Amino acid sequence: MRLWTPLSLAAVAAIAFASVPASATGAITCKSGPVSGWKSQKALTDKLTKEGWSVRKSKVDGGCYEVYGTTPEGDRVEAYFHPVTLEKLYVSRRGEVLFRKAGY
Amino acid sequence: MLRFILNKKQTFWALLCLPAVLMMRPYVFGDVIAMDMLHPTGEWSARFMIAAMILSPLLSLIGPRPWLSWLIQRRRALGVAAFGYATLHLIFYVIDMGNLDDMLAEFLALGIWTGWAAMLLFVPLAVTSNDASMRALKAGWKRLQRLVYPAAVLVLVHWIFIHNNLGPALIHFVPLVLLVAARYFLPRRPNLKGA
Repeated sequence: MRLWTPLSLAAVAAIAFASVPASATGAITCKSGPVSGWKSQKALTDKLTKEGWSVRKSKVDGGCYEVYGTTPEGDRVEAYFHPVTLEKLYVSRRGEVLFRKAGY
Repeated sequence: MLRFILNKKQTFWALLCLPAVLMMRPYVFGDVIAMDMLHPTGEWSARFMIAAMILSPLLSLIGPRPWLSWLIQRRRALGVAAFGYATLHLIFYVIDMGNLDDMLAEFLALGIWTGWAAMLLFVPLAVTSNDASMRALKAGWKRLQRLVYPAAVLVLVHWIFIHNNLGPALIHFVPLVLLVAARYFLPRRPNLKGA
């Protein structure tokens, strides 16, 4: 029976980790209220494009808008914006934090 | 007849290609962009690498089993598949980044250079995955193939830091770590059944 010990350990560990709720890839979360109060993703993309960003992709993550794209300075980044105010909250490049608004 | 087809090595290779075929479909049809291909290609590469790596520890722990020998006979295919999916992963990374400047700008991020380093280690493993290399390198072949252990550590770090979270990477790697550890720390299973 000893041989089953490591196997069951592995199984238990795998199940334990699997049942941890997959927190959104979420670098940050936004307390942004009901979606009806949000500005549209297109509004954000348009605003950013006007500011010189190029937006590759955007989605909702942790109640924020998450944008993959290139900043006006030319950095390939992942950035979070508040869906109500469209304010920039967090910018990172492959896990390296380039900007984080105080409080987030 | 069915058994004959299932036992063909070619059938196993085809099976290993299946995830690639399924994941390429939406890309070919333009439903997803190169960026979206990074996660599935990387994840399958890690899965096949782990699958190839757990067979020996399993054999030490539970002893010979028909299904296990069946898989061990196909371990090379698993390893080569891991390399194939890693290559796809790299190709989609280059397509997604689109230029050298952006790739260099992030090269030193922990989540990035570990990926490059793992890929670098995979190359000699894949290149020597054939009978001729095994014959030519003799005992050195096994030593060379042990590079998969540092490569696995790099893959794990790459995965954790690229995603900023532990969960999915650990689900894949914890079983591997436990099995490899068990192989070294637990006494070998005695050969006498029921002893």
